[in-house]
Amino acid sequence: MTMNALNRRALLGGLGCACCAGLVGTAEARIPPASMKPLIQPGYRPTETDEKGMWQQMERVEQEIAGSNLLIKDQALTKYLGGLVERVGGPAAKDMRVYLAHVPEFNAFMAPTGFMVVFSGLLTRMRDEAQLSGVIAHEAGHFLRRHHIRGWRDLRRKSDAFSVLAMGAGVGGAAGGVYLGDAVQLAQMGTILSLLAYSRELEAEADAMGLRLIAEAGYDPIAMPNTWQQLIEEVEASARMRRKRPRRRLSLFETHPAPESRMVDLRVSAQEVRAATGEAARGRDRYLAAIGKHRTMLLDDQVKLNDPGASLYIVENLAKDGWNGLLRFYEAEVWRLRGEKGDDARAAQGYAAAIGYGDAPPEAWRNHGYALLKTGRRDEGKAALGRYLAMAPKASDAAMVRYSLAQ
Amino acid sequence: MGRRRFLLIPAASLALGGCVSTRQVADVQFEPPQGNYSLIVMRPDVQVGSVTTGGLVEPRAEWTEQARANLLRALSQQQAGRGGRTMIAETRGSVRGVDPETIADLERLHNAVGNSIALHKYYPGNELPTKRRGIDWTLGEDAVKLGRTTGMDYALFLYAQDSFASTGRVALQVLGIAGCFIGFCAPQGGGGQVAYASLVDLRSGDVVWFNVLQTSSQLPGLRFGDIRTPEGSAQMVERLLGRMKAGRDVRNRR
Repeated sequence: MTMNALNRRALLGGLGCACCAGLVGTAEARIPPASMKPLIQPGYRPTETDEKGMWQQMERVEQEIAGSNLLIKDQALTKYLGGLVERVGGPAAKDMRVYLAHVPEFNAFMAPTGFMVVFSGLLTRMRDEAQLSGVIAHEAGHFLRRHHIRGWRDLRRKSDAFSVLAMGAGVGGAAGGVYLGDAVQLAQMGTILSLLAYSRELEAEADAMGLRLIAEAGYDPIAMPNTWQQLIEEVEASARMRRKRPRRRLSLFETHPAPESRMVDLRVSAQEVRAATGEAARGRDRYLAAIGKHRTMLLDDQVKLNDPGASLYIVENLAKDGWNGLLRFYEAEVWRLRGEKGDDARAAQGYAAAIGYGDAPPEAWRNHGYALLKTGRRDEGKAALGRYLAMAPKASDAAMVRYSLAQ
Repeated sequence: MGRRRFLLIPAASLALGGCVSTRQVADVQFEPPQGNYSLIVMRPDVQVGSVTTGGLVEPRAEWTEQARANLLRALSQQQAGRGGRTMIAETRGSVRGVDPETIADLERLHNAVGNSIALHKYYPGNELPTKRRGIDWTLGEDAVKLGRTTGMDYALFLYAQDSFASTGRVALQVLGIAGCFIGFCAPQGGGGQVAYASLVDLRSGDVVWFNVLQTSSQLPGLRFGDIRTPEGSAQMVERLLGRMKAGRDVRNRR
C-alpha cells in the first residue's frame, strides 16, 4: 500500500512538473519580422463557433466605446488616424476602425473584431508618424495574427487540462490515500506561468508583425525600438524625480515582455528589415500637421498628472527635434506645478525662454508677467500681462489680470 | 493519512445541488404597473455561453440570438397579459425622436445607479443608513424627458445571462461528486443563470423596482430552465418579472 501510494505520488507529482516544464520552458527568442505572415484575408469574418461568440460579444463593447464621451471626436484627427491604420494595416487595412480616447496614458489596444483604441497620451509622446504608425501596426498585428482567439484557445486548453489533472489528483489521491495538493498547486502555478508565457509570445509576434508592416509602408522601422527606449527612459526619469527606483518586475509574471527586451529585439529586427528596404521616412511634417494644434491640450493633460519627472522627460524628448515656445512653456509649467524650493526660479526662466519664440502660447506671457512682478520688475511685468490680454482678450482670467494691471 | 481523510470528509457535507433565487426591492410607494400602460425596454443585454471543462464561459453567438429573440417575445407577452404595451429599443438609434447620444447617456447613468442599488441592497454590510426602506434612487430629469418624448410610462433595463455545461464540464461534475464516496468531494459549478431587471417610472424618473435572479447547479444535468427555448425564456421572465410585489407602504395600506 505504502509502495503503491508512493508510486502514485511520484507519478502525479512528476506529471505536474512535466507540465510546468513543458509549458513554461520555451525560451523567448526574437521573432524575425520576415517570418510574420498575416493569418487573415481582407474582409475576414469568423467561421468557427468560439470565434463567432467572441465577435458577437464584442459588438456591444464597440457600441459602448463608439458612444463613449471619453472619445476625442475631432474629425480631422480621427481621419488622420484612420488613414494610418489603412496604411499599415496589411490585408486588414479596410477592416479596422480606430477610436481616440482622451486618456493621458501611453497605451493602445486592439479588440478581436478589428477596432482599436488609441489613448491620447500616445500622441503626446510620439515624435513622428513612423513612431505612431509603429504602435498602430503593433495593434494591427494582433488582429492580423488572430491573437485574441489564439489566446482564448490557449487559455481554454490549459484550464481544461489543469481541471482534469486536479480532479484526477484529488480523486486518485483520495482512492490511494495520499494527499496531492502540493502537486496540484505546482501544476496550477505552471499553468498560470505558461499562459503568461504565451501572452508574451503573442506580444513579440505583434512587435515583429508591426515592424514588418511599417517598413513595408515606407517608414523607418527604427522608430519602434526608439519608442520603447523612450518609454524606459520616461519611467526612469519619473522614478528619479520622486527619488524612487523604477519598478522592476519579474518578466516571468508579466503578460508583456519587458520593455528592455522588446527594445533590444526590435532594434535587431529593425536593422534586419532596414537592410532589405533601404529608403525610409519619419513622416514628421505630416505628423505635426495633424497633431500640432492638439499639442497644447495633450501637454496640458500630461503636466497635470503630477508626475514631473515623466512630464519633463516627454517635453525634452519632443524638443530633440527642436525647442519651441510651447515646449518651453510646458517645461516651465512642470516646475511651477511641482513647486519645490527653487522651482519658481526655474519656471520663471522657462517662461522667459518661451516668449522668445514666436509660437509661445498667451499663457507663457501671462506667467512670465507674474514672474517678473514677483521679482519687482513692475514695468516689464505689466507689459507682459498686457501682451497676454492682447493675445487672449476673452480668457477666463482676463478680469483678474486686468485687476493685477491696475494695481 | 487518516488525518487527511478526516480533513476531507467535512467537504462531503457541503450542500450539493442547486437553487433558484430572486430578490426584489421596490420603492415603498411602488404599485406594479397594470391596465393600460406602456413600457420601453432599453437595449436588452443577453448573453449565452458554454462552460468549458476548466470552468470558463465561452460565449455562443447562435444560442445568444435564439435566447434574445425568445426572451423578448416572452417579455412582450407577459407584459401584454398585464395590459402593457411593450416597445423594444434594439439599438441606441432605434428610439424615434431621441438621438443615440441621449440614450447612451441614460444607459450609462442607469449603469451607475443600478450598480449602486446592487451594491447597497444586495451585498450585506453595505447598507446605507439613510436608504433602508425600499429603494430610493432616481435617474432624474433625463428619464422624465425620455418619457415625454416617447410617450412611454416605464423604462425597463434588462440583463440576462445563461450558460450550459459542456460535455467535459459535466464529466468533471460527475467525477467531483463521485469523489465524495471516497473522501474527495469537489463539487463543480455547471451552467447557471444570472439576470436582473430594473424598472424606471418615466413620470418621476425614479427607479421604482429592481430584481435579481440567480440559478445555479452543481449537479450534472440539473437545470432550471433554458432560455434558448421559448418555454425557458417564459420561465425566466415569469421568475424575474411575473411576481412583482407592491412597495411596503402600499402593501401596509391594503
